[in-house]
Amino acid sequence: MTNSYLRFWGVRGSYAAPQKTHLGVGGNTSCVEIRSGDHLLVCDGGTGIIPLGEELMANSDISEMLVVFTHYHWDHICGLPFFQPAFSPQWKIKFFGPGESAEDIESRLSNQMKAPYFPVETETWMADIEYISPSKTGITHGPMSLSFHNVHHPGVTYGYRIKVAGKNVIYVSDNEIDFLKSSIERRRDEFDDEEHELLEQIEIEERDAELDEIRGTDILIHDAQYTPHDYDKKRGWGHSCYVDAVNFAIDAEVKVLYLYHHDPTYDDEKINAIHHDCMQIVRERKSTMECHIAHEGLIVEL
Amino acid sequence: MSLNKPTVVIVDDSSSVRTFFERAIRPLDVELEMFASANDAFTYLQTHKPALLFLDIIMPEKDGLTFLQELRHLPLHEDTPTVVISSKDYAQDRVAAKELGVVEFVAKPMSTKAIEELIVRYTASS
Repeated sequence: MTNSYLRFWGVRGSYAAPQKTHLGVGGNTSCVEIRSGDHLLVCDGGTGIIPLGEELMANSDISEMLVVFTHYHWDHICGLPFFQPAFSPQWKIKFFGPGESAEDIESRLSNQMKAPYFPVETETWMADIEYISPSKTGITHGPMSLSFHNVHHPGVTYGYRIKVAGKNVIYVSDNEIDFLKSSIERRRDEFDDEEHELLEQIEIEERDAELDEIRGTDILIHDAQYTPHDYDKKRGWGHSCYVDAVNFAIDAEVKVLYLYHHDPTYDDEKINAIHHDCMQIVRERKSTMECHIAHEGLIVEL
Repeated sequence: MSLNKPTVVIVDDSSSVRTFFERAIRPLDVELEMFASANDAFTYLQTHKPALLFLDIIMPEKDGLTFLQELRHLPLHEDTPTVVISSKDYAQDRVAAKELGVVEFVAKPMSTKAIEELIVRYTASS
């Protein structure tokens, strides 16, 4: 293994899925480790961060990390109360996520550990903890640099662009693609002819703005939670249909796409079928993009 | 700028949305200040209090809800009437906006007629 890689520790959306029919893909919720030499970045603290913490306590020769959160829904933070490095004085951990200030970020993360929801509060964390204030210029973590952008998901939710080992990795765990397009289609009758032209421009602007955030990236990790059938029933829930995710990535000339945030009700067989469909779309569009299923334990060298 | 006309501010990175607002204010006796950049808008608002503020949520520099949270810390804007207009129409965003004291949360796209009605409603007493 090179000294720069990413590893998927949790790939499920919404809630953990530990059934044996699901474990080929994996049952833990969102967590991705990105390593560059001695520098460790963790994206999200779903249940996948628990085994990552165990691994770090058992085998790691480093003692510092940055953990960034896309947002604070449970599936992205619920592993944090069981994250062993936070309880160890040997570690220095920096946290960042949506929020107006460092205090705001601390409050959002620590509230899940207050009584009656958890037996110990973040005051029992023995690691050297720092909450990073939002900055217009992004975040630098050793050789990695991070910037963030807002995505379509309930509440303030970030996608992260990470420059690491000469590559761009974009992590968008939760995002509903083409939300505005659906809204315009539903309400077209409310507008006059002149407004219809403007609506088309709004749609194009919105789509271009979303594409610009990921255009040409080397690796995109993106929400692909639903089948088209399920998405029809769950429009407005803040997640994408895999068909939209693949087309979106092809349109943005992404080099490698990892389908992520799998629905917890989908077993290995169903997710393999999703992958098969996605590859068909890639072939039909004559795209050179690689498209993979993010599965637990998968290591991608950078 | 006329001292007598109420000012309406729109913060939205979409030029087409801003065009809707330009059309909507034509028959109205209001001043319109438009910003594509959240940071530029924040600088302006540090010294200006509009009669009505329209605010997008998803913008490149800063999301509208965090923007409004920061704005509410300024004594000048504790109670500035604010309408959130967003393609990001989720219940959780509506709740967050309500907690920040917005007077309306409107899903994009907005017709010029709907914009005009909101401006008339909230600037009538200005």
